[in-house]
Amino acid sequence: MPSWIEQAAHRGILTSRYPRERGSDAEVPPTGRAPVPSASAGPTGAAIAGCPVGAIGPEGVEPGRCIRCARCLAHGYRFGGPVEASFRAPPGRAGPEGADVGDEPAPLAPLGRSLHLFLVDVGSCNACNLEVLALANPFYDVSRLGLFFTNSPRHADVLLVVGVPTDAMVEPARRAYDAMPFPKAVVAVGVCPCSGGAFRGNPGLRPSLGDILPVDRFVPGCPPTPVQILDAVLRVAGRARREE
Amino acid sequence: MLLPEPSEVLPEELAGLWRGQFGGPAPRPLAPRETVEGYGTFTFPYGPISMGVPESGRFDVVTYGERILELAPLGGYKQRSVLAALAGTPVEDAALRIERIAGNFSAAHVAAFLAAAESARGLRVPVVELWTRALAQELQRIYNHIHVLARIAEAASQNVGQAQTHALAEEILRLQARAFGHRWLFGALLPGGPARNLDRAGRHALSEAVRTPAREFDDLWELYLDSRVFVDRIQGTCPVPREVAVRWGAVGPTLRACGVPWDDRLRVPEAPYNDLFVALAREHDGDALARLLVRVQEVRASFLLIEQMLDRWPADVSLSEAPSPPVRPGRGVGRVEGPSGDLVYDVSVAHDRIVSVAARTPSQANWPVFAFGMRGAVFTDFHFAFESFGLVFAETDR
Ligand code: SF4
Ligand code: SF4
Repeated sequence: MPSWIEQAAHRGILTSRYPRERGSDAEVPPTGRAPVPSASAGPTGAAIAGCPVGAIGPEGVEPGRCIRCARCLAHGYRFGGPVEASFRAPPGRAGPEGADVGDEPAPLAPLGRSLHLFLVDVGSCNACNLEVLALANPFYDVSRLGLFFTNSPRHADVLLVVGVPTDAMVEPARRAYDAMPFPKAVVAVGVCPCSGGAFRGNPGLRPSLGDILPVDRFVPGCPPTPVQILDAVLRVAGRARREE
Repeated sequence: MLLPEPSEVLPEELAGLWRGQFGGPAPRPLAPRETVEGYGTFTFPYGPISMGVPESGRFDVVTYGERILELAPLGGYKQRSVLAALAGTPVEDAALRIERIAGNFSAAHVAAFLAAAESARGLRVPVVELWTRALAQELQRIYNHIHVLARIAEAASQNVGQAQTHALAEEILRLQARAFGHRWLFGALLPGGPARNLDRAGRHALSEAVRTPAREFDDLWELYLDSRVFVDRIQGTCPVPREVAVRWGAVGPTLRACGVPWDDRLRVPEAPYNDLFVALAREHDGDALARLLVRVQEVRASFLLIEQMLDRWPADVSLSEAPSPPVRPGRGVGRVEGPSGDLVYDVSVAHDRIVSVAARTPSQANWPVFAFGMRGAVFTDFHFAFESFGLVFAETDR
């Protein structure tokens, strides 16, 4: 009779080597990177007009608004931004390679290595929720890095917020944040909390999570890949470089 | 064909409930309430934020301690007003917002929406586009059913099983990314989706790649069936009688688990399903186990459908053969069988821009029967029951 152990052994080790190694193509599909103009890109006028969310300006693509719809690929853009791009401030227009991944304060560095994560949905489409939870599956297995999901904000060090803030969720989200002990950090996951994403400007929605909570990192992408979310969490813990 | 007003075809209570699911601020009832009173009963609010249900939504549990006398799902916390804000947008831009109503059902939503918009505009679509949509939907059905199995295994503390099953779900997401350029198929079903990779080589790679997860799924399910603890835990949990399912308009695996042979892919044979063998999944007990068994049968059926589709993919027809869109305004209905059930879109279009969009989503139809099935259950049944329906708050808070 086959057993779970045989079955698991048969499949071998699935777990990613990220962050010791870069994310592979399977972990980061094309849409896991922000679009950048390639050498052959023509005048930006057509690309600006074609972008459904107005994420392209004369100076380039604004990753915090791009929903990765791939429409600008017809105008000479390609998905080529850095995988690990996440931002301290609500992302503005970025340069051609799209990100400010320099040195930055790491609010949770004093806690050392192990962190507990709490997920709050303030108005998502459910894809971001599932990408955050995917961090626990054997492919990413964040418990190998000392990261654990917790069921209560009182045990949490990092609040992972997904979705565009609706009026009804402002109060619950603030209360979850207030319930967390110090030191604490907030990571906004997805283009929705960065800028409203595809729903920007709809009635009853706040423009950005930064308006209701102090956000430490904004992770663009619609949805971001688990590797991107993991990178942002390691960054607030001051661990992004230590693993290399 | 036009959709009749709900009050013309539905019992007044159901029509009223569906209207109430969308009006007004949070919290608003997603299922009919029945006032339960008695010595020692109190209402315990669960949500809107809880890690047990990763989405934001509330459940008011009326109880006197252990047993749930009544469970009232309450939504509206994630109301993003997507459909209302679509008026005036071009159809292609609207589709990008439609697929973000519920990200894990994106292919079904966008396929139903595009079918409705195309019928409103009088457009004929190349056959290969219809096949591409169906292929994406079958992949996403497999993902969602496997995800439900993994969540139920998680609730049952099947630690190895849930890890292996979540890994299998991740493999399907990666397959989707390889074939369509996006893990959640966003943007991939629009005509000429540029990140799509479904040329001959891409299809060949996909047909090779789906073999492994298909085999792994069968192996996993054998192991689950061997686990008496697992099967016992979900057998008899949250039963939905057939009459209740029919009366409240339940759809999808929930309805088929009560013995009703209704699958939209078999209703009107449309491309590509008219050329393929579609197996009807059906069970009779209406409990969480029956719903899971229906999903397992459907995963196998979908793997078979994908195999058939990739085997006899139609010749490419260039998009220019489609007639140019008429300028006259029109209204159309699109209907598909989504992972959690029958999904209907009703779209009005004028000058290639949206006039109005209405939708009937599977979650909307299944909330009342979920609430009914929970009456008399105990607290620990909650997660098994909830996950077995495949309910998504985002589908009602749109
Ligand atoms: S991918 Fe889409 S949203 Fe992003 S910049 Fe290009 S056109 Fe705009
Ligand atoms: S960022 Fe995109 S994937 Fe994430 S919740 Fe918003 S619409 Fe959904």
